[in-house]
Amino acid sequence: MEGFIATGLIGISLGSQYTLLALGFTLIFGILGVVNFAHGGFYVMGGYVAYYCTSMLGLSYPVALLIAVGSTAMLGWLFETLILERVIEDHQATLMVTMGFYLVMATAILMIFGAESPEFSFPIAGVWRAGGVYFPYANMVVLGVCLAAIVLVYWLVYRTNLGRAMRAMAEDRAVASALGMRTKVLFPFAFALATGLAGLTGALVTPILALAPHVGDPVLAFSFLTVILGGLGSVTGATVAAFIVGLVEAYAAVYLGGSKGALTLFVLVLIILVIRPQGLLGKEVRRA
Amino acid sequence: MLSIEDLHVAYGGTRAVDGVTLQVEAGQTVLLIGANGAGKSSLINSVIGLVRHSRGRIRFDGRDISAMPSDARARAGIGYSPEGRRVFAAMSVKDNVLAGAARLSAREQAARWDRMVASFRFLGERQSQPAGELSGGQQQLVAIARAMGGAPRLLLLDEPFLGLAPVWIQQISAAVRQMQDEGIAVLMTEQMARPALKIAHYGHVMRSGQIRRSGLTSEIRGAALAEEYL
Repeated sequence: MEGFIATGLIGISLGSQYTLLALGFTLIFGILGVVNFAHGGFYVMGGYVAYYCTSMLGLSYPVALLIAVGSTAMLGWLFETLILERVIEDHQATLMVTMGFYLVMATAILMIFGAESPEFSFPIAGVWRAGGVYFPYANMVVLGVCLAAIVLVYWLVYRTNLGRAMRAMAEDRAVASALGMRTKVLFPFAFALATGLAGLTGALVTPILALAPHVGDPVLAFSFLTVILGGLGSVTGATVAAFIVGLVEAYAAVYLGGSKGALTLFVLVLIILVIRPQGLLGKEVRRA
Repeated sequence: MLSIEDLHVAYGGTRAVDGVTLQVEAGQTVLLIGANGAGKSSLINSVIGLVRHSRGRIRFDGRDISAMPSDARARAGIGYSPEGRRVFAAMSVKDNVLAGAARLSAREQAARWDRMVASFRFLGERQSQPAGELSGGQQQLVAIARAMGGAPRLLLLDEPFLGLAPVWIQQISAAVRQMQDEGIAVLMTEQMARPALKIAHYGHVMRSGQIRRSGLTSEIRGAALAEEYL
């Protein structure tokens, strides 16, 4: 029973990480109509920026987190404004450009930091225990920050003018701009928000999992999976799906063993998509 | 207030609008009447900037707005209610209405919303319901209220009666009269000549992208009604 609860906690903690990644991914898709293949790159970059700030510059971890968020958001903003914006109407071009940008980011990190995993561990060690339930403090902090970030994103999307404009933009771009909403401001903002969330996740999670130039690949795959499961473009769908994915992954890994965990997840997703091709909370296919 | 000169809009080789000139004066309601494909929507969409015109000039308040993006035109004071309503289906009624009011302060938005609710009670009753769940007539009112959210001086209404039952046509007409009382100029398109003629001051009959007849609504009634059956 204790093992069951502990695994559940890990699952929820994984779910909150996936939520941050998936929220960014789904916002970019919903608002800009772009599948961001560079999403994993911003996760890796967040990790390396935090690593550089703590290990090389000797800054404290919370400061490093903020710098990681700021720098990934800034790069996302620049990338959207300078490059993506020029090809935004052309679906294939946005795929190529984001994919290409991911390769550039991964290679740049490889050149600067080398191929080997750097020594980057979470500043808080120790394990919380209650009876037979174990939960590392590091995971607890990650869970707390992720949940706070999720609440912040929800507040932004559902309680502010900016969020209302972003949702309107996601539903009908032409009508939204005909009502005075500024695409030129909102597109880069949404992109920066999303990449900042990916950077935050990277800075939080890579010290627990692993930091290496290629760790962005599975991140992209999981973000994609989560967002499709939840329904492309749906914010709540992405959140629900992320927690499902996290819990399934945690339980399957513990009770079925590593590779069977991934298999269980993909089979489950496949079954759900056969029954509900639009995803759990997806409505309809996005108008082209 | 709005002045369109020799407007041409083409999609590929097809001429949707073929040399239209018309004016909308402050406080005036101008009706564009014509069958499907007459070029009415293309004209409306080129005024708000969703469609680029190939020739001609569009002036709003004496300023040439041809080069402005559509969001800047909206902020300059043009409200837009599209053909087929196109409400933000997943968003609440209140969010829909305030979507066009983003640049107002929270207090101004609240005042704006209260005024809308005072005019259309059902907006208040349904405020947190997703707009996509409403009936066609209710959605049309949401679309008009949404266009009014930004406090425009010119309102573009593209086929506001499309697919609506007579009782809703009356409701929409009442809403348009209310805009008129507030001094807002309206440029509207309609296929249904009969109810539309009742609320407009001036009308143009369009066919194949050109204006065939123009005049006070009383003068063009015959031509407009004939067009309805084409």
